[in-house]
Amino acid sequence: MSKKYYRFFGGLLTAQEHWLNKMSEKGYRLIRAEKMLYEFEECKPDQVKYCVEFIGQKSKVDASDYHEFLEGMGYKVFYKNINLNYSVGKVRLRPWAERGGRIATNATTFNRELLIVEKDNDGKPFELHTSYEDKENYYRNLRNPWLLILLMFAIFAVAKRSVVFGVLALVSLIPVLVYQTKVMQNKREGKTKEW
Amino acid sequence: MRDNAKGGALTEVTFFILLSLYTPKHGYAVMQFIEDSTKGRLTLGAGTLYGALNSLQEKGWIAPFGDSAGRKKEYLITTQGKEIAEKELIRLNELVGVANGIIGGAV
Repeated sequence: MSKKYYRFFGGLLTAQEHWLNKMSEKGYRLIRAEKMLYEFEECKPDQVKYCVEFIGQKSKVDASDYHEFLEGMGYKVFYKNINLNYSVGKVRLRPWAERGGRIATNATTFNRELLIVEKDNDGKPFELHTSYEDKENYYRNLRNPWLLILLMFAIFAVAKRSVVFGVLALVSLIPVLVYQTKVMQNKREGKTKEW
Repeated sequence: MRDNAKGGALTEVTFFILLSLYTPKHGYAVMQFIEDSTKGRLTLGAGTLYGALNSLQEKGWIAPFGDSAGRKKEYLITTQGKEIAEKELIRLNELVGVANGIIGGAV
């Protein structure tokens, strides 16, 4: 018997990861992930562990290369959208992405900004990024989209003298600060430690 | 921490990956090799390993091995990569020699 849940986590990657791991503790493993739908089947409690990773900065080729690599490591990998967007034929500009990923469409990483990675639980902690230098880069990739949003809202707020945009700018400052702190923490640690 | 290719001094991750690839291996085998040779002291996350393999490939120290179509991608160390690894071994041996002379039997 499969179980269906409807959830939306948006940019809260850790919350999504936490919820999936809680489901696994209760004895459910993911078999399908769509816009808001998560479908689970029964398994032994704690049989698997989950990591949620942001890959929106990757080009299509790099995203599928990474996907393939992770599957080669013996993990099960699901693509997941970070936003809710039901229209087809969307084109998005992503100035913060790497070369080849800056124009995102439904054929590339648009609506496939996240990977849900499942590993058979071997009792060891499951982390995809372990060295400080690598973590620093990862959090930088998470920060940059928010930085762009912050800049845009800030420019609108000033140009239009709009309070609404000002508030939005302040709200988007929060994730920027959270990720920036992590970038700096890992950078500092990385000066004296490799991992 | 970054590799210092000029003076030797590789990061541990880089040196271990180079060593593991004296025989062709795919990602999972590299990870296993590192865990086994350090008895679990050093475990690499898959994302970190992926990044390291890609950057070593860009440097030309390792290269994809064989025809990877339909199979897991394997890597092998290049001649340049071997030179780097051998230089690092010489540097480490020299270091160990000096350290033994000073710290000696204390450990």
